[in-house]
Amino acid sequence: MISKGATRNSNSRRIKFARRFVSALLHMRNQNPRPGSLSIEGSVRTRSQRIKIAAYLSMAQAVGSRRAWSRAVLSKLGSRARRHMRRMGRSSLGSLKKKRVIRSYSPGELGQAKKLRQLVPGGETMDICSLLEETAHYITCLATQVKVMQTLADNFSK
Amino acid sequence: MEKESTTPPNWTTSSFGMEIQPNELNCAAADQLPNSFFNPNWDNSVDQSDPFESALSSIVSSPAASNAAAIPGRDCLMIRELIGRLGSICNSGEISPQTYVAGNTTTNNNSTNTSGYNTPLNSPPKLNLSIMDSQIRGSLPINGHQVPFHPTLVPFSADPGFAERAARFSSFGNTNCIGLNETDFPYGLMPGMEYGKMSNASSNQQFKVVGSQMGVQEKNKQEGNVVVKRKFIRLPRPSTPENAELGDSREGSSVSEQIPGGEVSTKVDSDSNARKRKSISRGKAKETPSTPSAKDHKTTVENEESNAKRSRQDEDAGNEKDSAKAKAKADSKAAGDGNQKQNKDNSKPPEPPKDYIHVRARRGQATDSHSLAERVRREKISERMKFLQDLVPGCNKVTGKAVMLDEIINYVQSLQRQVEFLSMKLATVNPRMDCNMEAQLSKDIFQSRGALPPTLYPLDSVMRSIPYGYQPQQMQALHGGIANETENRFPVNSLAALSRNNPSGQLPPMDGYGEAVPQVSAPWEDDLQSVVQMGFGQNQQQSFHGSGAAAQMKVEL
Repeated sequence: MISKGATRNSNSRRIKFARRFVSALLHMRNQNPRPGSLSIEGSVRTRSQRIKIAAYLSMAQAVGSRRAWSRAVLSKLGSRARRHMRRMGRSSLGSLKKKRVIRSYSPGELGQAKKLRQLVPGGETMDICSLLEETAHYITCLATQVKVMQTLADNFSK
Repeated sequence: MEKESTTPPNWTTSSFGMEIQPNELNCAAADQLPNSFFNPNWDNSVDQSDPFESALSSIVSSPAASNAAAIPGRDCLMIRELIGRLGSICNSGEISPQTYVAGNTTTNNNSTNTSGYNTPLNSPPKLNLSIMDSQIRGSLPINGHQVPFHPTLVPFSADPGFAERAARFSSFGNTNCIGLNETDFPYGLMPGMEYGKMSNASSNQQFKVVGSQMGVQEKNKQEGNVVVKRKFIRLPRPSTPENAELGDSREGSSVSEQIPGGEVSTKVDSDSNARKRKSISRGKAKETPSTPSAKDHKTTVENEESNAKRSRQDEDAGNEKDSAKAKAKADSKAAGDGNQKQNKDNSKPPEPPKDYIHVRARRGQATDSHSLAERVRREKISERMKFLQDLVPGCNKVTGKAVMLDEIINYVQSLQRQVEFLSMKLATVNPRMDCNMEAQLSKDIFQSRGALPPTLYPLDSVMRSIPYGYQPQQMQALHGGIANETENRFPVNSLAALSRNNPSGQLPPMDGYGEAVPQVSAPWEDDLQSVVQMGFGQNQQQSFHGSGAAAQMKVEL
């Protein structure tokens, strides 16, 4: 029963992620203005970067605003950022880094909490308790996204 | 005594069988044991009326009136059951066996309950039902009438501790019967004494005879409790007698506190078992029961183990659930634990306002609100860490927060690296990520995944019939439409249903999505009309042509 529910949830989540990811990929592809201006490696790198951004974006969109990390990702990769990125032809995430926010340190936690905060989007302003919760959800979504991309890559490589 | 032992069994087995669904065997067993247990106690007690009165006073004075208020409706029956059980166990000679028989003969639960009332009033020394005695006796002749017993119920219901205990007993009787050994009689069958004893490791000063048995039962109960799902959050384990009403008493050494004085006794909680509880009686639960219960479970078990050796036995035994027990304890522990009592008093003040999660301080630990909040927070964090432990593969053996955090960080980093690697792979594997992507996706998906739901096959054929070259334009338009459409309109539900092998194969067409169709080129739509005829919704067509291919692919994942 529990496994069935988990499977069902994971399946639906996978479907959601897959759909969004593919649509984001196509969208990105359509937005690519200059396919031949860059070198092969550069184009590949750019494309891979775009794909990565598309992956994160689709993942966050699939989750919606329910989670703090998805909100953070969406704000980071907002439509403006996307347009900017497209215009620049490369990732402009660096320019859109979030401002440093004062974190609420929880006593007793080592530098691991800091590391975790850097890993999980939007984890800068969270206390350990919610950080752990967000991390759990983030991990599940990341795992699903990885599976989706893996399947896609496998299909393409066949 | 013999009379009691002989008469009750018949009555109890029948009545209990009707009242509760405990195993007959347990009831009978419980029946026998308590009698033996109670007899010595009763002998010890000076007078029948005294225990009743003292217990009654303790019951009446039990503070958790609010709890009782919240419980009575549902606990009336349980109270009756409890009383019945108690009565059966401690049948006194006051009530003629005939009343029992009369009550027994009636198959009506009410009647049995009423007869049950009779017995406990008279016999159990712990139960101070002197007040109710007259009431019940007056209503004795009326069997099967619930109304006459209502007044008797009132004093009981007025005692929140009793109500809760009754509830616990009944729930325990219902739930623990299976978990307990045959030899272990359900808690319900054993009035307060058993409950308190159970919590105690085994030393029940008052009931030497029972003590040893109790200890055994307690251990069994503990194991049983581990399996039992509590009906009441406050009742996670036998050894964790908490008083829902006594939510305010968050004291490590609660048990001892309760013992002194009858009033205290009503606070049956075994404060030694610190645990988080939601005051159900107050109806305020901030967190889900599962969380505290899970935590309580662990903490309680730990507490029990740690406190087993302490002098809980003294206080714990009686107070836990029964006022009568508490009373007995009070008697036995006349000296009482002054410090414990003080602790209880100290714990009382910081009772949090309603809507808060009531946390009970563990025995021997600080009781100020700060440390309590700190403990709550720590438990929250540990709970989340455990959840994460399940998520991260290979972390079952890892213990400790630091190591766990390292593992989590490594896992997140590895996942992110995987995403990056896969995106690179996707970028290289399919450099022509343009026209034929959708087509290839659909083709690959349909070819690689043979386990497509039957409903998808017709669509598959339709898709293949459509010229691939035709698709890209439509794809772009489609995706433009898709992109324009809000994600909410995405037929997630439809695909999800599809993934579940929707037998009908028909998905509810989403009008919102349908509106996007006109934006797509018409001929593409016309081609898909055949698909519609196959029973697929319009949105499906679009989704299939769009990322539907991927979605279908995911269906098989």
